[in-house]
Amino acid sequence: MNKNTIRKLVSAGLLLILILIFTISSDYFLTLGNFMEIFRDASVVGIIGIGVTMVILTAGIDLSTGSIMALVGMTMANIYRYTLLPIWVMILAGLLVGTLAGLFNGVIITKFSLPEFIATLSTMSIFRALTYIISIKQNGLITSQALKARSFILLGKSVGGIYYVIIVFVLLAVIGQVILKYTRFGTNLYAVGSNIKAAQLSGINTDRTRALAYVITGFCAGIASVFMTARLQSTTALLGEGMEFNVIAAVVVGGCSLAGGRGDIVGTLIGAIFMATLDNGIYKFQINTAYQLIIKGIIIICVVVFDSWYNNFMDEASRNKKLKGVGE
Amino acid sequence: MNQEIILEACDINKSFSGVQVLNQVHLDIRKGEVHALMGENGAGKSTLIKIITGAYTKDSGRIFWKGQEVEINSLKDCQGLGMACIYQELSVIPALTVAQNIYLGREPKKGKTGLIDYKKMNRMAQELIDRYEFPLKATDIVDSLGIGLRQLVEILKGLSCNSELLIMDEPTASLSGKEASILFRIIDALRRQEVSIIYISHRLEEVYMLSDRLTILRDGKNAAVLEKEEIIPKDVIQTMIGKVVDESAGSRKTLTRNTNEVVLKVEGLTRKGFFENVNFEVRQGEILGFGGLIGAGRTEVMRCLYGADKYQSGKIWIEGKEYVPTSTRKSIAFGFGFVPEDRRGQGFIPLLSTNRNTALTNYDIIRQTAFSISSKEELEMCKKIIEKIDIRPADPEKQVGLMSGGNQQKVVIGKWLMRELKILIVDEPTAGIDVGAKDEIYHILEELAAKGVIVILVSSDLQELVRVSHRILVMRKGKIVKELAEGTVTQADILEAASGIENQEEVAG
Repeated sequence: MNKNTIRKLVSAGLLLILILIFTISSDYFLTLGNFMEIFRDASVVGIIGIGVTMVILTAGIDLSTGSIMALVGMTMANIYRYTLLPIWVMILAGLLVGTLAGLFNGVIITKFSLPEFIATLSTMSIFRALTYIISIKQNGLITSQALKARSFILLGKSVGGIYYVIIVFVLLAVIGQVILKYTRFGTNLYAVGSNIKAAQLSGINTDRTRALAYVITGFCAGIASVFMTARLQSTTALLGEGMEFNVIAAVVVGGCSLAGGRGDIVGTLIGAIFMATLDNGIYKFQINTAYQLIIKGIIIICVVVFDSWYNNFMDEASRNKKLKGVGE
Repeated sequence: MNQEIILEACDINKSFSGVQVLNQVHLDIRKGEVHALMGENGAGKSTLIKIITGAYTKDSGRIFWKGQEVEINSLKDCQGLGMACIYQELSVIPALTVAQNIYLGREPKKGKTGLIDYKKMNRMAQELIDRYEFPLKATDIVDSLGIGLRQLVEILKGLSCNSELLIMDEPTASLSGKEASILFRIIDALRRQEVSIIYISHRLEEVYMLSDRLTILRDGKNAAVLEKEEIIPKDVIQTMIGKVVDESAGSRKTLTRNTNEVVLKVEGLTRKGFFENVNFEVRQGEILGFGGLIGAGRTEVMRCLYGADKYQSGKIWIEGKEYVPTSTRKSIAFGFGFVPEDRRGQGFIPLLSTNRNTALTNYDIIRQTAFSISSKEELEMCKKIIEKIDIRPADPEKQVGLMSGGNQQKVVIGKWLMRELKILIVDEPTAGIDVGAKDEIYHILEELAAKGVIVILVSSDLQELVRVSHRILVMRKGKIVKELAEGTVTQADILEAASGIENQEEVAG
């Protein structure tokens, strides 16, 4: 069996163990309603995770996704409040802002050769600040902004017991996986992350490939913001704070290597459900928020440690095989 | 032989920040010939190739492709004409399959959908692999392949474009004997199919065996163009380096110190998956050679001996006492020196000066002042070494990353010469180094041995092994399979033991 397939089964196994623990310890955990809630939360993380998976495949990172969500939300709130534009135009404008924010990341990273970490750390702050600037103030205080258009709120609802956001996530995940596995752009993402010099020598436009990954991430953060604000029926300048952590955690738990070149959307899907299950389960345990964050942090550390151990282990195994097979 | 000229480069000039690297250089390649390009490091081979492939722009000169003048400004231009370059540094992508690597950037697509047609791509790749009988599968993930096989993938990539000219830069540098013999067969097949090849290699035997013609560069100028029948090994070396080579260099030597004292003894050393039950002894002042193919486990044994990796079982005795190498720091303090296989990656810090690089392993012996190490003493020790082994430029402040390969290696070896050494382990010390510097490094090793230091030499260069070592152990698949003692050791003996008898014919052919 393929090394990556085994890695994915490990992720899925971890998820099952987590579900098992929570099921045993709480009567309210294993219910259809609760699972819908978990999937709903996982979808928001997962939608952004599709973009971030592509970014991490190129050995990059994007820390600005939470801020992009906030900026998109506040843009829509302004349009809703001050214009008479139809709702679909408002949504499109929001998505456009998200995409442009991603483009900005991509351009400063590739054109000015900024390290991805520094670039998106900076824009994380810049996009958040822009959100504050355009947020609507009452008596000098920033308040949450209502987004109560009936057709918009609908997006936060469900059809036949399944939330729209879940449907959209599944749809985007399928498209994302097809892009990764069956298009040149997808292959290029792996190539760039695995050996960027070789990719260049093969005539791949590595800058464009990397930049496009950030653009897609910006767009995905926009979509996530639309569904999040539709569900909340409002937005605040704090929307999506800490989201980048959950997203990166989900992607890494799903088996994406931070060194680039390994991982896919199926893994991220598992990772997103894992993170949502964890949040949900901890909540059911009524653990203090601070401890929740500690538990999440520890889990990320464990997964990364496991990954490094696992890679060494697999390399050793394949070497053993080769040593026996030489010359035969 | 077809006399039609496929590529001609005329009067090429190129200088970098005022230094003339190429001076009126001329190169012409006939259709279907294997044309070797030789010269010491820094002679201008790589620069010339980079100009032909569009990586550098020439200052002046003209390039003709099939009689038409062409401007080559990028790799794409070069590929468009029908040239392909197989790079010295591996340029395959580990995360992808063999087929994905071969067709990277030009994957066949399924009709209008724009999706990659994997079925077709894998079939095309497999046909290509089968045509040349490469030991590969189209769906193998490159990550799981050894370095030698990865190079074959790269060659396939070049072949897949139906190129009329292949440029191979040190293609056998990381290939095992068997893999190299496959490559030679491929080169022969390509020649019959009228594909021209520019072949750059430091391994002289290969060049004599393969090439139809030979262009030699020296100091950025044409030194000679030779037809096959004019190629005489000794003359070629002389033309390359412009000085007379020590003739006695190839002869066998006996231990200068006639001592039978065993200083280092290794018993049953085992690291699972890498090597098993390795036993050997080394006497004082002996140069012990380790031969074998890439991946035979030689480097891994040395790393364990030096304390860089852990082994599972076995014992190491030095001067009668058991030695347990728990860390490299301990080994260095004990009297070990280690020159790693991957010079650029592990041997030195490119961004630091010669001075800092040589001091790095010697801070325990450099005098400490109240608050810091004495930079004066550091500098003086470095100057001594520079003088002793003739490191160029003779400037302690020069960044090592900017120096030539031979001088970089001298820095790596030089830092050990500052210490009282008992055992020096050198792994592929002359890989990719020009002939002149090679000789100098051999002299350093011989001098050390004459002083009573144990030198362990791991090398894939058979000529080097035979020339430098007193005794040679050959490893295969993680085991020592043969000991070749002083006397009549030939390169063929080593190759035979290293690759197993079944390959002998292929290697010879």
